[in-house]
Parts: sequence; C-alpha cells; structure tokens
Amino acid sequence: MADVVDSMLDLMRRLPPTRTEENVAALIGICPDYADDLLGSVDQPLQLKTDRATGKEYLACDYNRDGESYRSPWSNEYDPPLDDGTVPTPKLRKLEIVANEAFDTYREMYYEGGVSSVYLWELEDGGFAGVVLLKKIMSPATPYEPSGSWDSIHVFETAERGRQAHYKLTSTVMLQLVTRRGSDTQGSGAEKRSENKVDAKGAEGWKREGEVSLSGSMTRQTEQDWPLQDSSSHITNTGKMIEEMEIKMRNLLQEVYFGKTRDIVYDLRSVDDLEHARRQKELQKELVGFIKR
Amino acid sequence: MDPRIEAASNFLLQSPPGEINDVLNDVRSIISDDDLLKDGILPALREYNLAQFSVVDVPGADHQSIISEAARVPTLEGVEEDEQRFLDPRSKTSFVFNHIGLEASDPQSVEPDPDAEPFRHALETALLSYLSSHFLDGVGSVFATPGTPNHFVIQIVANKYNAPNYWSGRWRSEYVVDLNENQVTGRILVHVHYYEQGNVSIISLFSPHPSEKKLTVSFPFAFLSPRNQTIRAHQVQLATTHNLSLTLPPAVVTASAGAAASKILALIGEEEGTYQKSLNETYYEMGEKTFKGLRRALPMTRQKIDWDKVLGYKLGAELTSSKGVFGSA
Repeated sequence: MADVVDSMLDLMRRLPPTRTEENVAALIGICPDYADDLLGSVDQPLQLKTDRATGKEYLACDYNRDGESYRSPWSNEYDPPLDDGTVPTPKLRKLEIVANEAFDTYREMYYEGGVSSVYLWELEDGGFAGVVLLKKIMSPATPYEPSGSWDSIHVFETAERGRQAHYKLTSTVMLQLVTRRGSDTQGSGAEKRSENKVDAKGAEGWKREGEVSLSGSMTRQTEQDWPLQDSSSHITNTGKMIEEMEIKMRNLLQEVYFGKTRDIVYDLRSVDDLEHARRQKELQKELVGFIKR
Repeated sequence: MDPRIEAASNFLLQSPPGEINDVLNDVRSIISDDDLLKDGILPALREYNLAQFSVVDVPGADHQSIISEAARVPTLEGVEEDEQRFLDPRSKTSFVFNHIGLEASDPQSVEPDPDAEPFRHALETALLSYLSSHFLDGVGSVFATPGTPNHFVIQIVANKYNAPNYWSGRWRSEYVVDLNENQVTGRILVHVHYYEQGNVSIISLFSPHPSEKKLTVSFPFAFLSPRNQTIRAHQVQLATTHNLSLTLPPAVVTASAGAAASKILALIGEEEGTYQKSLNETYYEMGEKTFKGLRRALPMTRQKIDWDKVLGYKLGAELTSSKGVFGSA
C-alpha cells in the first residue's frame, strides 16, 4: 500500500503544478481506495467558499471537511449543513475565533487582500493542532496583465510542557505566476524596441503572441519551543513562527522561481555566439603556445 | 478505452523533460497491470515522442535527428503502426523508430525530391551553423514538405537533464518556411522542471477527522537523515509558449538559395535571442508586479507584526465583553 501512495506522490511531484486538481481527481478515479491518502497528503489549491450566515469568504481544505461539507471559521457552521459535524470543544472554539481575527489582521498587513481561515482541533494526547490558511488571487483586468495566485497552508501541532509549549510547523506555499504577451501590447519596452529594430532593416517585423507560466510549491518544516503564559500565547507563538516562516519561504521562492529556472533556460541556449567564444579560446591557446616557443 | 489507460496516457503526456521513464514507473506501480499498460500506452508514448521532438541516433550516421510529425514517413497500406518509419533528411535515411526503446532500426536510403533538395540542404547548412553558435546541445532537422513545393519545416530541440541536481529543461522551436507566400510562421516552447529532495522520509500530521486519527504523509522522494529531520521540498515548472509569424523581406525572397537560407536563419536566430532576452523582462515584471502584489515582503510599517499588540487588542475586546478579567484597557 505504501508503495502505491509513494508512487502517487512521486507522480504528483513531477506533473505540472497547474494541473494538480485534475490529476488528483484522475488518480482517485482509477484508485478510489486511496482517495483519503491522496487528499490528505497532496496539497491542492485552496477553495474559496462563502459563509451563508455572515456572507464572509473562507477557505476550504481537507482540515475543515467532514464528508462532503466544509465548516466555516466565522459561523462554525457546516455547508451543506451537518447535524453531527465535528466541531472544536467550546474552549478551543474560543481560541479559534481569536486566532481567526489575529490572522485576519496578519493577512491584511501582508497580503492587502485575499482570504484567511484558521481551524483548530483536539489531539488524543490532550494537545491540539491547527491549520492557518491564506490565499490571494490576482486576476488580470486585461489579457496581457500579469496574473497569479498564492496559497499558504501552515499545519501545526502543539504539546504543552509546563510553562513551555513545543510546536511542530509544516508550511506549504503554492505559487503560480502567469504573463501573456502579444505584439499589439504597448506594455513591453523590449518588444517594441526589437520590433523597431527589425522594421528599420526593412522587414515587416515578427508578429508575436505567447505566455510564460511559473508554477510550483514549496514545503518547509520547523520545530520550536516557546514560553506559555495562557492559552492565547499559542496564537502569538504560532503567529511569530508562521510570519518568520513565510518571510523565509518568500525569499526562497523568489530565488527558485526567478533565479534557478532562468539559469536553466540559459543552459539550454546561449544568447552569445558560442562559436565566437570557441574561436577566441583557440586563439588564446595559440598565442600562449607562441609565447612559450 | 479502459479508464486506467486513459489516465495513464494523460499522465505520460504531461511528463517533464527527461522524466517520462520516472512517470512510467510511477504509473506501472499505481496500475500494477503491465499487460494492460504494455499495449495501451503505446499511442501516448508515440504522441509524446512526436510532440516533444524526441531525438534518436541515426543508424550509420554520427548525428542525431528529430522524431516529429514532419519526420514521419507516410505509412503504406498494410504496414502496422508499430513499424512507423521516420526520415532523417540530413543522411537521406529512413528508419523504424521504437517508441519505447527510443531506438532506430532497419535503415533504408531515401532519394530526396530533386526540386526541393537544394534549398532544403541550404537551410540545413545554415541551421547547423546556427545550432553550434547558440545551443550547447542542440539537434535540428529541416524537412521538405512532400507534395507541397517551396514549403519547408525547420525544427530545433535542446535538452538538458540534470537528475543529480534535480532539474531538467527542454527548448523546442519549429518554423514553417513557405516560399509561395513568403511567410515564416513558428513557435518556441520552453519547459523547465526544478525540484528539491527532502531529507526525511516520513512526517506525520494529525488529522482533524475522527475516523482517521493519525494521518501519515510520506515523502517518497526523500531519504532518511538522522541528523536533520526537517523537510525541505519544492518543485517549480516554467512553461512558455511563443507563437511567431514573419513576412519575408523582398531582399530575402530574390536572393540565391544559399544567401536566402542564411538570411532566414539569421532572422530566426535574432528573434530567438530577442525572445530569450525578453524572458528576463517578463521575470522582472512578474517579480515586481505579480509576486510583490500577491504578498508583501514586510507590512507597510516596514516592521514585523507585534503579535502581543494584535492579540492584546483582539483578546481584550473579546474578554471585556464576556468576563472583564483583563478589561482594564
């Protein structure tokens, strides 16, 4: 069994991140027995839902799902409604309400838009676990404006040890960036410049139209101990940990997305003339040989 | 079609550069019915090889040629699809291509169309010189379209597979040169996959679902490291499409075959260079506009959040209204 799940996860790591939902659905279609394993272990883009009671948007994922229904963090209600849906104990729900408000502030300060949701649940050994979800989508007003989406999933579990709490945080960020380009757009200076250059040479110039898409995900994990004053300390502690983690991952994503993939393109094709470089090298060798003689 | 074959074929067609064997191994383990797969996935492998410009060592020649729709020799009546033949115009050889083993066999010499061959050959010469100037590991083919005079297809593919460092990339470009309409139309497709291995084999998370108390998430691509138990994993794919068309200047059209071919490849080369450089600008724009627009590096205040303050305010408001214990603010 583990082998099949391993193969499924290896497959999902290789297939295009833009098609994760479709591919997970296809895998479940051919192996329905593994649906829970897959849904629990492959991070998928978060779904946006609207709370029927408050009209506020919230995020749906495997952690607030019970059967086919999803629980809203704002009203604590399941949609479609469930009579016996799992909900946190009243004490934990109180903490969940405060956590949702706190991370809503965090969302506004870093994302200036988007949607956040926090879900908490009890653990068997007396501790609790939770997930902090953040999502922002940029939709282009015109086809040639850049578009993108950011999905953060921070899962943590905590165990209290006297005046300390131990936290294990697993964070995943899914990021997608898309830019479309066309000859008729006025936006790009480089394209206009190059077209003018060809025009000057007497050709009518290339007509161009294309798309560049960067998509992927990143997962990191950390374990830390923080002091505990009362139950609300869990929110300040996880808040600091998640903020630190997102700052670190944002830097790493920038490196991986923009640095590494660009370098690989330059490993495929060289802008500079390689023949020219080769001749230079040979000439240099000859000169060195000549001097030595 | 068996739904398992349909799903398997769909997965194979999405394989990143150089990873089709890994995808195939995953699919074999998931479906665990090799007999079913063996026959069923052949059409998908064939489609993948043609679409991705797979390269093959040409029998009896010391170069590689491209497997594509343009390279396909029309199948004669009664000949099985498995025996599909492909043409290498450079060595004037056709061969049977094995879509699973990626090998060529049964070479036969082919007589080129005498009317098309001089210009095709001129384009090929110019293409090979362009490839050695700008591609580190490029393969190219030029085909004369059978039955359509003055119509040629130029194809380029460059692959870099660096599995030890977890990345792979493929550059494909194709240009249709139509001297009847004096038009060049083409496309450039770049696909890059970069991923990172984790260094822990299994992590466990606790599920909120009462029915599945403990959920085990395994990272199959990771190996166990006793020293460092931290997961590090990422994958990113760059996929670009770029469609092009150009009306050839009169000076090119009226030139001799050799001069016209060089000029056409020079125009293509200049455009590919422009495109490659324009990716830098696209990246800059995505970094400045999209990435920053999605999430700020720091809040407007240029400081990290004061969580005690955020919470003090929230919790204060919450608790004063209910109990008033901390309600001295």
